[in-house]
Amino acid sequence: MNPDFLISGIFLCLAGTCAAAIISMIARGKARRRFAMLTLAAATAIGAATGAAAVVFRPEFQAAPALFGMRIALDPLAAVFFALLNAIACAVSIYAIAYVDGHADAYDVRRLDALTAVFMLGMQGVVLAAAPLAFLACWEIMSIASFFLVMADRKPESLRAALFYLIMTHLGAGAILAGFMLLSGGFMHAGFGWMAAYAQGLPDATLLLAFALFLFGFGSKAGLWPFHVWLPEAHPQAPSHISALMSGVMLKMALYGFLRVLLGILPPLPASWALPIVALGLLSAVFGALYAVVERDLKRLLAYSSIENIGLIFTMVGAALYARGAGLPVLADAALAAAVLHAVAHAIFKSGLFMGAGAIVGQLHTRDLEAMGGLAKRMPRFSGAMLVLALGAAALPPSAAFMSEWVFLQHVLAAVRTASPFTQGVLVAILSSVAFVGGLAVFAMIKMFGIAFLGRPRGAHAAQAQEPSIGLSAPVFAMAGLTLVVGLGAPALLAVTGFFGVTDGRRLVAGGGALSPFSLAAVFAAVGAAAFMARRLSSDAKHERAYHAWDCGQPTDASMEYTATAFSAPARFFFRLLLRSRKDVQASPIAATNPWIARKTSVLEIRQVWYELMYAPIVRAALFVSTQARRLHSGVIQFYIAMILAALIAALVISL
Amino acid sequence: MNPVSLTAIQTIVVLGLAPFAVGCVRLFKARLQGRRGASPFLSYVAFATLLRKQMVMPEDASWVFRLTPFVVLASALFLVLVLPLTTVGGALAAYGDLFVVAGVLVIGAVFLVMGGLDAASAFGGMGASREMTVTSLLEPTVILTFATFALASGSTGIDGMLASGLSVFRAPYLFPTIAALGLVALAENARYPVDNPATHLELTMVHEAMILEYSGPYLAMLEFASAIKLTAFALLIGNFLVPATLAEPGASLTMVMAAVAAAALKLVAAMAALALLESVIAKMRFYRMQEYLTGAFLTALGGLALALIQRAV
Repeated sequence: MNPDFLISGIFLCLAGTCAAAIISMIARGKARRRFAMLTLAAATAIGAATGAAAVVFRPEFQAAPALFGMRIALDPLAAVFFALLNAIACAVSIYAIAYVDGHADAYDVRRLDALTAVFMLGMQGVVLAAAPLAFLACWEIMSIASFFLVMADRKPESLRAALFYLIMTHLGAGAILAGFMLLSGGFMHAGFGWMAAYAQGLPDATLLLAFALFLFGFGSKAGLWPFHVWLPEAHPQAPSHISALMSGVMLKMALYGFLRVLLGILPPLPASWALPIVALGLLSAVFGALYAVVERDLKRLLAYSSIENIGLIFTMVGAALYARGAGLPVLADAALAAAVLHAVAHAIFKSGLFMGAGAIVGQLHTRDLEAMGGLAKRMPRFSGAMLVLALGAAALPPSAAFMSEWVFLQHVLAAVRTASPFTQGVLVAILSSVAFVGGLAVFAMIKMFGIAFLGRPRGAHAAQAQEPSIGLSAPVFAMAGLTLVVGLGAPALLAVTGFFGVTDGRRLVAGGGALSPFSLAAVFAAVGAAAFMARRLSSDAKHERAYHAWDCGQPTDASMEYTATAFSAPARFFFRLLLRSRKDVQASPIAATNPWIARKTSVLEIRQVWYELMYAPIVRAALFVSTQARRLHSGVIQFYIAMILAALIAALVISL
Repeated sequence: MNPVSLTAIQTIVVLGLAPFAVGCVRLFKARLQGRRGASPFLSYVAFATLLRKQMVMPEDASWVFRLTPFVVLASALFLVLVLPLTTVGGALAAYGDLFVVAGVLVIGAVFLVMGGLDAASAFGGMGASREMTVTSLLEPTVILTFATFALASGSTGIDGMLASGLSVFRAPYLFPTIAALGLVALAENARYPVDNPATHLELTMVHEAMILEYSGPYLAMLEFASAIKLTAFALLIGNFLVPATLAEPGASLTMVMAAVAAAALKLVAAMAALALLESVIAKMRFYRMQEYLTGAFLTALGGLALALIQRAV
């Protein structure tokens, strides 16, 4: 394939995204904003096609034409992420047409649309950048655009979440900048290839410092424990299509940056350096899943599930790095393949779930699961798509996430057979933790679907819910379909992306066995059809009547249904040492004769343990220091001039 | 015999024996408790009766409630098709990968959970919440247990594990793993000490509470699915103890008949053991379930460690 074709595709995509930003800034009226969003969708569709073409044909182009001193390249790793980012962005642009129209009173529509386009542009730039300066510039465009998007509704809690996000993301960006400085010797215009050669000669201590800085920088953007506390605040606070972009795609940009540095720039690292990545990944996965299980806010639950999935992906990356250092090249390749596949799977199902959540919240006017229920009966088609997405997020066969975990765990299991005792310990810890997280993820997703969609509506808005409009539901259906397509086509996808060690094109292959997702699904479908036929043949399908459920002789109402809080009560109890949830029940007797007849109020508080443990002390210390520093504000100008002089002298002394 | 007919025979035998297994355990339990008990063949009549009854659908239930029996039954049928129960090397054995089997077990469980929630009664929700907790926390034990067999046999397919002739009596270090498999089987099939299959009190139910609102043919499908699952787990444990009786591709008709007879014997023995266990221990309080689940996990982990040590020396 002609590389020029791809380059023009990339430029069309970038130019279209820019144009969409400008059009939506100046466009007034529904028709024009629809035109702006369709431009954006078209531009990102071209980008997705270009990325996919670059993945398939692997053209030889590294340094394409220069743009403002930036070089643009699309190697296989970048191409995968470019295609993924643009595909999700395309669906989000379509969704934005109907979604933002429905919320025109809450947002400044023109600014929101323009920032959305700029946000996408920043992410496209991150993937295309081939030098640290360009990378960081686009990284900042992405971060700052998303900062403004988080506080798009200008509510106080959004503002708070956005500022928290801004601080965390800039600490991260600072760390990445410092890391690049160390690895490039301060020469920020150098390409990544030049940096890789330069980094070969650096001493181990410098490399370790750079590695730690990158782990913090990219880890804080990705929501890795313990830098994750901003994520469940910021992601749900944004408009739902932005939540979809942030959780589905922006986290993958952090993953892409980390992979770019690890695989493209840093020299091969010793195995022991990978252990912190594995440990942080597993801790993120466990805590993300646990908090998702006990969470009652629909969008926060999805945000916690993002932390869990990012944790799994980083575990896979860490395992790949560890295996490379420990002399297990097969596992290294497979874990990387699994990480990329899981990133694709997560981007698809999480953006679908967030867009679906937006459609629900728009009708129900609340994110609280306790006010939902009964939606499956009121929106049967839409709930079907959400069920597929939820089961995909629970990593059940034959979804895409199941395939990535299958590849990863199969190879871990195969590697355990031959590895050294210490490595065996690491691999067994990974195996059992991933299985543990898998169980909890199922819990969280089934809780979300079961409480929001099943049973009887728990609120007036839920009772009047209707099938969402086609503009809102079509992207969700597309994502549900993609979850299955990527799951069934996982072998082909991995073969196309160049991971030939884990697939023969038709089946996923591992040391201990092989799996053809398509035939697996066919077998299960055939068995389901057999069950259906057996039921039809053996009994009368029409012989039924509707009646209320068993109520022990007293009419029941929705308040007697199981709630999200009650549903997760056993998990909250079993993990009370980790969650530190506090429950306070106060009983005031009503009848003097019988103490059991009482009015009870129950308050359940799920605490942000990590915020209290790690962030609150920093906040207190900062407040204390600034309070002390305020004493210097005497208002005497001579004193200030003396201070300036002292600072100048101190600076001179230090620099000379 | 070719693999296709072996799998067909296994499916027919297991589906045919499943109601008998449930009847057996009820009969043995009754005898152990000093009652006469009903004939073990009564459950066939019960299924036939249910199929003819009218169904009562809860008013609040949605399409998920109707989909549930089909998915649950399909997941049980899938297990019968892919697991080595009377035969190794069956036609669909390639799909009996340990992660796939674990995933299909979870699919069956989560649809039961959703069916329980969909009826909008507090009892269904209670059972659903409990079942979800047990299923999700059992997941690491399931994976580690089968992973140990995979390590010991070199195959991640459950069929391959048994085809390798792996036997606990020849490899005694697998005993903790078999014990863990037993604990998994008790929890997966809602037996003592996790759940009481014979309870009449909604508040103590787990499995029964979820299917409380099902009636007629749907109830028959769900009950049949759990009977199949019980049979499959019993035969699986029996096969890990004594794998020599399994039929192989190329076996003569007599050998296949012998394998079927051996499977029936194993099933009766397993049901007798289950009845004995359920008569001597009590159901655990649900909020003590973490002890059971942690114990099961540690047993599986210990089994894995033993297997690794065995390989090292």
